[in-house]
Amino acid sequence: MLKALDHLEEWLITFLMGAATLVIFAAVLHRYASNIPYPAFQDWLLTINMSWAQELCIYMFVWMAKFGAAYGVRTGIHVGVDVLINRLSSKNRFKFVLFGLMAGAFFTGIIAVMGGGLVWHVREGGTTTEVLEWPQWIVYMAIPLGSGLMCFRFLQVAWNFVKTGQLPHHDHGHVEGIEDLKNEDLIPLALKDNLHPRNVRKGGEK
Amino acid sequence: MNAAIIFVLLLVLMLTGMPISISLGLTVLTFFFSFSNDPMTVVAQKLFTGIEKFEIMAIPFFILAGNFLTHGGVARRMINFATSMVGHWHGGLGLAGVMACALFAAVSGSSPATVVAIGSILLPAMVKQGFPKSFGAGVITTSGALGILIPPSIVMVMYSVSTSTSVGALFMAGIVPGLVMASLLGLTTWWKARKNDYPRMPKATWRVRLKAFRESVWGLLLIVVVMGGIYTGVFTPTEAAAMSAVYAFLIATFVYKDMGLKKVPKVLLDSANMSAMLLYIITNAMLFSFLLTSEQIPQIMADWIIGKGLGPIAFLLVVNVLLLVAGNFMEPSSIVLIMAPILFPVAMKLGINPVHFGILITVNMEVGMCHPPVGLNLYVASGVTKMGITELTVAVWPWLLTMLGFLILVTYWPALSLWLPKTLGML
Repeated sequence: MLKALDHLEEWLITFLMGAATLVIFAAVLHRYASNIPYPAFQDWLLTINMSWAQELCIYMFVWMAKFGAAYGVRTGIHVGVDVLINRLSSKNRFKFVLFGLMAGAFFTGIIAVMGGGLVWHVREGGTTTEVLEWPQWIVYMAIPLGSGLMCFRFLQVAWNFVKTGQLPHHDHGHVEGIEDLKNEDLIPLALKDNLHPRNVRKGGEK
Repeated sequence: MNAAIIFVLLLVLMLTGMPISISLGLTVLTFFFSFSNDPMTVVAQKLFTGIEKFEIMAIPFFILAGNFLTHGGVARRMINFATSMVGHWHGGLGLAGVMACALFAAVSGSSPATVVAIGSILLPAMVKQGFPKSFGAGVITTSGALGILIPPSIVMVMYSVSTSTSVGALFMAGIVPGLVMASLLGLTTWWKARKNDYPRMPKATWRVRLKAFRESVWGLLLIVVVMGGIYTGVFTPTEAAAMSAVYAFLIATFVYKDMGLKKVPKVLLDSANMSAMLLYIITNAMLFSFLLTSEQIPQIMADWIIGKGLGPIAFLLVVNVLLLVAGNFMEPSSIVLIMAPILFPVAMKLGINPVHFGILITVNMEVGMCHPPVGLNLYVASGVTKMGITELTVAVWPWLLTMLGFLILVTYWPALSLWLPKTLGML
């Protein structure tokens, strides 16, 4: 059950990220391609209206931001100012970390409830979005859903922290494909032409 | 009075170590709940409308583009090219390190990733050649920060979002200072290497240089796509960002072939994770800045500062010191999002150019990444070099001084940043 939720969350934000990129890419291509004076092709392109792309992209990214923020709690990417609490004894540090996690759950919980109220309110109003003319309340669902999920993630991380003392940690310096290169000798610099090696100065040989 | 309550509340919440975005949000909630009569639903709605701007969406796209090219293979190509160009001068691989960092950081957009990528390839080679470890560590730690000044830069997008300054003009304005800063770091490296007689590389032939250039040029063209597109008006900045993401994808999978298609979902997920975190800080910072504006705090502070008779020179000094101190505790995006709305109105009243102000803040953020106690670059570099933070701080010192000197130059010589965008008619 939880696994399914994890996958759904990951799948959703991955999809939104990729799809938003393609939407804007298509819109830009369309704008320039429809300027090419090639009769039939141009007429066909002009019948397609891409003016909704920008709005769609914004909504996709807002949704991605709300659900991605929940995923971020799970991966520990939300950083705080920890200089002070890192100097405390581990017992006191434990209290502060737990307090931070509960504060996160508290804030996102309140926002989820308030967001629910907002969705209700907007639904009564019956407004739609400007270009796509989707019901505004559905678009605003990102707030209660995303924030609710985020609240759940904070509680989940807090629970794990109490049980195991472990926090998720995001590695900001992670780079793909470094391990393969680390053990290679750099000096020939992949320029296998025998022009590059050797040092010309003293201090080289060790 | 209200200002004092808000800032003390924010400071206390932040120091408990909770995520910065949460402490911003809780400050706003607490304040609205206890001292204000504004309806609370405004808060929930602001959480959506705060980031409902197309300009902000450049951030996820730039992150995606950077992540496609943040790969050891790309780092290696940049190092090869840099070494073939400058490796024969004093400083050899160290000098090449500065150049490789500048190139890779500009393309990947992440300072810590640059330190890791360039550092873990270059440092072992430098040590093998006989450079002291501290020399290489100093070069990589500081040069890795160049990325946020050379466009495309996410910190600049953040500044533009919170102050409504043109992204295009900011990017253009970052080019000359970025090049000058890279040259100054290179000069420091060269001078230290010459004094200590560190090893150099043999001079590469033009044939080798051309080969190395051809390999690295695909990555570097990303900058051309972004800047050329924005300057000629072919794309808006956000569209340019999306195009650069598509371009980076094509290069990474079909030209460089460092990354198989199977890895694409992973890159998308990582980028979404990072972007969502930044967008979440932006949302809450927007909420915070809405609170400040509705309490008219920036106005009150502006009047107060001007009432004190603080001229532009003294004000910019205060700004720099304030930001450097903030740089001790937070990472660049949060600092810009929290401080820019407060400082910007004062700067405008004092007649400081908004673009120049943005560039000086960006340079300040660069310095902040490299100085103790919490420069992120310092931490990452400590992992790569296996050196302690204290040891690294000593190693970084000469380059850090250079950066501070450069910061003063940028602060008090607006023409350095404004000349290029003015010449191109973007200001």
